[in-house]
Amino acid sequence: MTATTAGTTEVGGFELELSEEQALVQRTAREFATTRVLPLAAAIDRDAAIPKELLRELASLGFMGVCAPQEWGGSGLDAVSLVLALEEIFRACASTGVVMTVNNSLVCDPLLRYGSDAQKERFLKPLAKGELLGCFALSEPAAGSDAAAMRTTATRDGAGWVLNGTKNFITNGASADVAIVFAQTDAEKKHKGIAAFVVDKHGAGITVGKKEHKLGIRGSDTTQLAFDGCRVGADALLGEVGQGFRIALSTLDGGRIGIAAQAVGIARACLEDSVAYAKEREAFGQKIADLQAIQWKLADMATETDAARLLTWRAAALKASGAPYEAEAAMAKLFASDVAVRASRECVQVFGGYGYLADFPAERHYRDAKITELYEGTSEIMKLVIADDLFGKDRA
Amino acid sequence: MKILICLKQVPDSTVRVKVAPGGKDIVTEGMTWAISPYDEYAIELALEVKDGDPTTTVSVVSVGPARARDALRQALAMGCDDASLVVGEASGLGLSRALAKVVMEAKPDVVLCGKQASDDDQGFIGPALAEALSWPHVPFVTKLAGASGAVEAWRETEGGHEVWKASAPVVLTVQKSAKEPRYPSLPGIMKAKKKEIPEREIVSLNVDTSGQTLEIASLEPPPVRGGGKMLKDGDMAAIAADLVRLLREEAKVL
Repeated sequence: MTATTAGTTEVGGFELELSEEQALVQRTAREFATTRVLPLAAAIDRDAAIPKELLRELASLGFMGVCAPQEWGGSGLDAVSLVLALEEIFRACASTGVVMTVNNSLVCDPLLRYGSDAQKERFLKPLAKGELLGCFALSEPAAGSDAAAMRTTATRDGAGWVLNGTKNFITNGASADVAIVFAQTDAEKKHKGIAAFVVDKHGAGITVGKKEHKLGIRGSDTTQLAFDGCRVGADALLGEVGQGFRIALSTLDGGRIGIAAQAVGIARACLEDSVAYAKEREAFGQKIADLQAIQWKLADMATETDAARLLTWRAAALKASGAPYEAEAAMAKLFASDVAVRASRECVQVFGGYGYLADFPAERHYRDAKITELYEGTSEIMKLVIADDLFGKDRA
Repeated sequence: MKILICLKQVPDSTVRVKVAPGGKDIVTEGMTWAISPYDEYAIELALEVKDGDPTTTVSVVSVGPARARDALRQALAMGCDDASLVVGEASGLGLSRALAKVVMEAKPDVVLCGKQASDDDQGFIGPALAEALSWPHVPFVTKLAGASGAVEAWRETEGGHEVWKASAPVVLTVQKSAKEPRYPSLPGIMKAKKKEIPEREIVSLNVDTSGQTLEIASLEPPPVRGGGKMLKDGDMAAIAADLVRLLREEAKVL
């Protein structure tokens, strides 16, 4: 449901003021990101690894399960607090933010919504506390945007199941302890045969592929996961058989708000780094901040970043209020990712030749931004989601 | 152990402060406020005692404008047990008397103050509060331990540290230490949200809060820093000689 018509959504008046605790979350995340994460960002990108100690610290502050209730090991905050925290972490380091957003939005969230109490006790609690790390195994080598075309199968095995197939592009694939896995139980039923499972990733029958070499977000690991006769109990089934596709799509709706927050964080990094550089760098006898050619770039960057942030906050506020937000999340991700890619291109341009060097952050932003147009649904899929909403089509 | 921390909300250290028209105050509109940094170290010091002995209670109090509630909320989110706000303007001896009244009601074993507030940098309130209470006072403390009816307080000194023993109740002022103040955790923020912060007017304390004897005559921003100078001519030895000459003759620091 789009919110362009008055009265179609209820965010609670046109209120942009953060609540006391949201402001405190933002402040805490900003201070932590600035003092603890930002100084490590260049090394995380260069070494393609995030120090375990940093993730432990994030976990101890409650960042790995922001929206899970406290009785399930989480921080018990709302979806707006999550995007506020994510923007700050992403602003400092996109790789670290990705690990956080996947655990929060793609793993804790579906466990909270569809998990049994036993699954919540066994998996959600340690995941939300950050004692375990999760991953979301949906994409396959031949099924990306067309997720319903998946070939991974789940076959009945007594009371349990046997999983067979290969999952692709799995964020946290190497480092995760728990995987949410989607598999086809009855190919004839197409998307209505898909089921979701929550699986101990260290169990037998699961092989982690090599780490992919990526353009950006290099600190987060991305791998294949191969399931070869992987036996799981009946208690691994998340929700019901046939509900898997719905679980996948609704989880990605929430995930997209996180990716929109990533894009906003990267765009803000581009803006802040560009402004700082423009105040220092001189050309033609003046600071380049005094050149209109630079000012116009920065003004556009600031405006677009703010617009992207507002779309992201709106989608999060809708999610927090329990209202439908599928199209709004798609709009936020579509727009914010476009803004991030453009802002990062202009950031490199403001830095000039130095922007092309790894000694400055601009080229990292440029590489980190692109993924936001690709994962958790490409920009083209976002448009499909928005158009489906315009024509009142249900996608699952 | 029962610890009470006197906390002041000050302009955030990352904010660029502007002098207000009239030259006697700063522009506070749109200001980002924060807990005074030394008070944050006091909170950390108290919470470390609590980490070691969970029966410890840590309370915070602030005398100031209504916005100081945010600073108290942050202290609760960091892990303090309770907070209260006294709304009103007071400074110097008047403020010390107001705090002394609050302290006498709360009956803590230890009162902690930052060694100075980062806005006016006077370092006055801690010792003045001890005086108003007729309690002992140990300044510039970095660590604290309880010891039957007394406390042991560490003070950093040149090349080592001293341990002072004081009878409780006692006022300690806290110095920056190697242990950085903890961040509020997100569950801590949710816990803090549920706590009431009782508020009362300063007049309800029935103490003499006048006693204002100091007035700011004028405030000026520091002079704009001149650009640096690059010494490039000649070899290392010549540049070094040049540098020494400039430090002595121009900068006059040698």
